[in-house]
Amino acid sequence: MNARILVVDDDAALSEMIGIVLTAEGFEPVFCYDGATAVDTFRAVRPDLLLLDLMLPGKDGIQVCREIRAVSDVPVVMLTAKSDTVDVVRGLEAGADDYVPKPFKPAELVARVRARLRPVERASSAELRIGDVTIDVTGHSVRRGDQEINLTPLEFDLLTALARAPHQVFSREMLLRDVWGYQHAADTRLVNVHVQRLRSKVERDPENPEIVVTVRGVGYKAGSSAR
Amino acid sequence: MTAPDAAAARRHRGPARPLTRRFRLGRLLLARRWRQSLQFRAIAVSLSLTALAFFVTGSFLSHQIADRLFTDRLGQVLAGATADFEEVQASFDASDASDRDELQAMVDSTLGALSTDGSETERRWILVPLDYTSGQTLIPAQSQSPWMTSSTVPPELQERLADQDGVYWQPASVRMAENGDEVPVIVVGTIVDLYQNSPYGLYLVYDFSDPQRTLDAMHAVLLLSVIVLLLLVGAIVWYVTREVVRPVSSTARVAEQLAEGDLGVRMPVSGSHEVARLARSFNRMADSLQEQITQLEQLSSMQQTFVSDVSHELRTPLTTVRMAAEVLFNAREDFDPVNRRSAELLYHQVDRFDSLLADLLEISRFDAGAARLEVANVELFSVVQDVLEAAAPLIVSSGSVVQVRSELGRCTVQGDQRRIERILRNLVVNALEHGEGRPIEIVVAESETAVAVAVRDHGIGMTEEEAAKVFNRFWRADPARARTTGGTGLGLAIATEDTRLHGGLLDVWGAPGEGACFRLTLPRTRGRRLDPEDPSPLPLPPDARAHPERAEVTATGTLVLTPAPNSDRPAGPHPAGAEDPAGTEDTAGTEDTAGTDAPADAQEVQP
Repeated sequence: MNARILVVDDDAALSEMIGIVLTAEGFEPVFCYDGATAVDTFRAVRPDLLLLDLMLPGKDGIQVCREIRAVSDVPVVMLTAKSDTVDVVRGLEAGADDYVPKPFKPAELVARVRARLRPVERASSAELRIGDVTIDVTGHSVRRGDQEINLTPLEFDLLTALARAPHQVFSREMLLRDVWGYQHAADTRLVNVHVQRLRSKVERDPENPEIVVTVRGVGYKAGSSAR
Repeated sequence: MTAPDAAAARRHRGPARPLTRRFRLGRLLLARRWRQSLQFRAIAVSLSLTALAFFVTGSFLSHQIADRLFTDRLGQVLAGATADFEEVQASFDASDASDRDELQAMVDSTLGALSTDGSETERRWILVPLDYTSGQTLIPAQSQSPWMTSSTVPPELQERLADQDGVYWQPASVRMAENGDEVPVIVVGTIVDLYQNSPYGLYLVYDFSDPQRTLDAMHAVLLLSVIVLLLLVGAIVWYVTREVVRPVSSTARVAEQLAEGDLGVRMPVSGSHEVARLARSFNRMADSLQEQITQLEQLSSMQQTFVSDVSHELRTPLTTVRMAAEVLFNAREDFDPVNRRSAELLYHQVDRFDSLLADLLEISRFDAGAARLEVANVELFSVVQDVLEAAAPLIVSSGSVVQVRSELGRCTVQGDQRRIERILRNLVVNALEHGEGRPIEIVVAESETAVAVAVRDHGIGMTEEEAAKVFNRFWRADPARARTTGGTGLGLAIATEDTRLHGGLLDVWGAPGEGACFRLTLPRTRGRRLDPEDPSPLPLPPDARAHPERAEVTATGTLVLTPAPNSDRPAGPHPAGAEDPAGTEDTAGTEDTAGTDAPADAQEVQP
């Protein structure tokens, strides 16, 4: 089955062009041209991935992202005309998994889409532990004791990547490669923002993280499971 | 000296030192106050000048008054004394005493009458034989009061009396009462003939403590009034200068607030005197300053909004155009030659247009002051490696061999990774473009405070004149020269701005035919700005051969890494400090078995 992709962008020409590229790559694009109807369209279409422009008529893309994130874990990739810090970070904080700065090449866009849609290979053990958090890899769920922790696929991948090598320190670049699928250097803010989001869900006290531990000047590692 | 001894010595020296120190401190404080406070200076000057004036007039006054007082009293005293003397002489002359006892009785009665004289000044008489040393006197020296003797009379006066007839006087200091204090007196004397050529000195001692007391009292009053006047003058000057200085210092305060960016502050205006005029013109200045700055701020924010709008408005259609161009380009094999070439041209030029737009937007962001640093710890070797990997196709097409040389295994700096990478990419691309296919060296060095990366090519080089212009926007060394890389002409200008944002320095050296060298020096820690006078960790141009080779990109675009000499470093298997995307575990083994010349690890970076 072809993955269905909802493209939310007010520029009809660009939407059509994206549609052409996505169709050529075997995806099934659906379009929405303003922010106000984006959430309804999203509910009706039930896409596998959302391509979201940040500047939209009707409703701000960041707001749309926040609303969709509240009801769904579907991967969200932002299309940003401004690669300025504030917009990108705000988008990521609103729950977007990744972003593609305009103007992008078709290959870049497709690579981002594929990276977020790719089925995660799970060759290793079915259950992983970080601290008091248990990750059921096959069941795609995370629990602390009996309590289920709801993570987006990206956050799940991030946590799993860290849990698979409990003693390894991951640099931001390594995480960008392993979790986001970037082959070359990319924006390390992606990692920073998503680690914050992940911590806000899995940590008992996000101010003093025990699950995702910062290694100063290097990156992150899984917290020790010996407790 | 043991510690307790030293403490004891300190204690011992204790009392003397704080005093001198306090004195010196006080002097320093006064000197500072003198320098800093106009009011203090005015008060000090006017007080000292007034004190001087008072001193001069006071002493003149005192002198005059004393003179008058004394002269008047002396006149009275002398007149009285002369009359008395004549009376005594007449009484002596008229006496018919024949023996010593009668004589004594006569003297007693005459001089007794003298002592009861009713003048206001207390006086006492002394009768001394003129030649009292001979002992052949009719009656001995005698005086009204037993404690007064001939020695009470100043000898000079006695001598003068002996020399010549007349009434003489001299000031002296004598006790006027038994066991009393010595008081200032005037001793008036003359010769009286007691009995048939037996001359006696008759002295009258006048108590002058009265005028002295008057004078003292007057001095006291004078001193008191001087002190009061000085205090008054001080207060008046303080008040007047405060009235003048206060607006000045409040102006200074307001000006300081303005300088600190608080544009809303104004001076209070009251009245229409000079100070009010100053306040008014000051406020006018502040108004126009605020207006202009607000205007500039508005312009700047308008510029920023404009840049951001342009960015969005241009980028969306450009994205469409670019995607369409790429679709056409990918399908070019199916076109006829004309359309195929058109698709190729479209594709490449859209790419160029894109980078030109990106550079322009970047430059306007710098100009608008909207550029911000994203500071993190940046490992320079990994940045260099990333840059070289990205530039691999260009390296291949240029034919240059790029070498990385350094003594270091790792080199970290606090900075913005994206910007540092962009600076180095611009320098490397520039070197490749002008390197004429000859080798290019990248040298990395560090000092305690700074890190430096120099990119050296051996190409066409440039003159000093050209080197001065090389950072200008859209400047080209030789307009006739074709661009091989399609650079925008803004690369070095952006690199300059990026460097400045870091507080670093970007320098250039060039010699025609010998090549050029760009040196980037960055402060190691954030927030520090490098001074152009500070020595950079690398000379310009550096002697690349002096640094051991770390990595090399061959003309085929292969990145070859050389192991670091101190391979015991846990920094990682790569001397360049970058992460190895391929199996990390294997590389350590490779490194151990690596020969001296053989590359430890070769990595194909050509896409």
